[in-house]
Amino acid sequence: MSDSVIKPEAPSRLVRASWHEKAVARGGVVSIALFFAAVCIVFSLATDAFLTAPNLLNIVRQSAPLLIVASAMTFVITTGGIDLSVGSVLALTATLSAVLLQWGVPWPLVVLGLLCLGAAVGAAQGFFVAYEGIPAFIVTLAGLSVIRGVALLITGGYSIPVDPASPFNVIGRAWFLGVPVPALIAVAVLAVAYIVFNETAFGRYVTGVGANAEAVRRAGVNTRLVTLAVYVLTGAAAALAGIILASRLGSGSSNSGQGFELDVIAAVVLGGTSLFGGRGSIVGTVLGALTVAVIANGLILAHLSPFLTPIVTGSIILIAIWLNFRLFKGGSRSR
Amino acid sequence: MTESSLYRVRMTGISKRYHPIQVLDDVSLTLKPGEVLGLVGDNGAGKSTLSKVLSGAIIPDAGRIEIDGEAVSFATPADARAARVEMVYQDLSLCDTVDVAGNLFLGREPRRRVAGLSFLDKPRMHAEARAMLDRLGIVIADTRLKVENLSGGQRQSIAIGRAASFDPRVLIMDEPTAALAVAEVEAVLDLIRAVSARGVSVILITHRLQDLFLVCDRIQVMYEGRNVAERHVSDTSIEEVVNLIVGRKFAARSAKSADSAGVPA
Repeated sequence: MSDSVIKPEAPSRLVRASWHEKAVARGGVVSIALFFAAVCIVFSLATDAFLTAPNLLNIVRQSAPLLIVASAMTFVITTGGIDLSVGSVLALTATLSAVLLQWGVPWPLVVLGLLCLGAAVGAAQGFFVAYEGIPAFIVTLAGLSVIRGVALLITGGYSIPVDPASPFNVIGRAWFLGVPVPALIAVAVLAVAYIVFNETAFGRYVTGVGANAEAVRRAGVNTRLVTLAVYVLTGAAAALAGIILASRLGSGSSNSGQGFELDVIAAVVLGGTSLFGGRGSIVGTVLGALTVAVIANGLILAHLSPFLTPIVTGSIILIAIWLNFRLFKGGSRSR
Repeated sequence: MTESSLYRVRMTGISKRYHPIQVLDDVSLTLKPGEVLGLVGDNGAGKSTLSKVLSGAIIPDAGRIEIDGEAVSFATPADARAARVEMVYQDLSLCDTVDVAGNLFLGREPRRRVAGLSFLDKPRMHAEARAMLDRLGIVIADTRLKVENLSGGQRQSIAIGRAASFDPRVLIMDEPTAALAVAEVEAVLDLIRAVSARGVSVILITHRLQDLFLVCDRIQVMYEGRNVAERHVSDTSIEEVVNLIVGRKFAARSAKSADSAGVPA
């Protein structure tokens, strides 16, 4: 290493990376891309219905809440944090949207208000994580419990219907230019997430906080505010997911989204984002979320028990992460 | 003011007490523009504390700091940075998973505005990072490399390069050559010379005494929170400096054990 430091006249030691080295450098994303392709090929061959436009659009429509929240969760996990409360926030906003519509609140106001509520819940949790130094796992575990409890208290455990004639249902059910609206919303959120993560100073600081928060702080960045902001993102994203779900199902249930946080975390981790922080990829998260969705869809189309889904998903999580550690070791030195 | 405006930095009567221990006791330090000052002393002599006072990380109990003849008081590292006092920390403060250019520009990334929104200007960042590295003679093949893939010397160079490129008046370096390979030490020392040649005053804290004689103009020795000696490099030798650092301790002991003072190392 050292000779290149003191001998500027020495020929550049920068060797053009081979495809294999490039693959190793992006280990997480490459391995999930391989898994995604493999799963798609298997189901395309095994079933006639899988590789059809309506089915593929249906997958994206159904996985929109997962895609939206996972893109926000990528920010949280990249800072080295975690947000376990997203399933509960989803349930709370789904029930509240049904309740507020029953009260006759105009639907744009409902959507806006609930997005603000989700962001506020995220800000409250982010405050305890960023400014009070309580581990994110504990803060959001408490949030998971409290927020779900509030949703149950509001509904008394019942599911609340949304008037089928309400234009609110457009969000979850309508099609626009041949594509379901939830899918369009998800694509828009993902595009914004990708740009923010990779092309803005905020995205850079999110990675920096996960890698070495003290270094970023010494560089004069308000790292606490950055940390708080990522929880605002997951809160707002979970609220959006709750609105889409209530609109698609035509009702708000306080029991919706149970275990949703684990699906989201699985999608993010599958996509190669490190739970230790400092390393994240929105593209990986998209592939991870779609892999989870495709497995669930494909198993049903193949007339296999839907209860196989958690088994297959869990196995793939373990194998994909194991591949990251073994096959693509070079890409993740410091783990 | 004529006397003090000679100096880039003038610290006088600096005292700091951490409960039972007087870490700094009426310490003073002066530094001229473009001068390299070696700050040495045993562990716990107060050199790191003194440098942190100057970089705003520690607020002294008493004392006065003047920079270019102007009295200043720093409450945070950001205040010191605003007065263009930069410090390279021992633990480097780099983000491993961020690329070279990103680390050089951490916290002051060039932006470009598209449709009223602010985005990172990556092409400009990489171009300026390249120019910055070339100007300081730091050889790194690609500014897109992640810092975790670099050698210790290259990482050190980036940490120094970042501090130097804030256009500092004073650059404080805490153990910049600890844990480096021989050739890497040479590269870092070259970097210190390059920076001071551009008029930056440098405070170098190190245990590697041979480095002091290669780059420093002056050496200040501290012992148990006090200044004990100040020598021009041309007037002293490595033996004398060792005696000043260690010898006093033997002398202090010998006061009790009636042993002879000053054991040359």
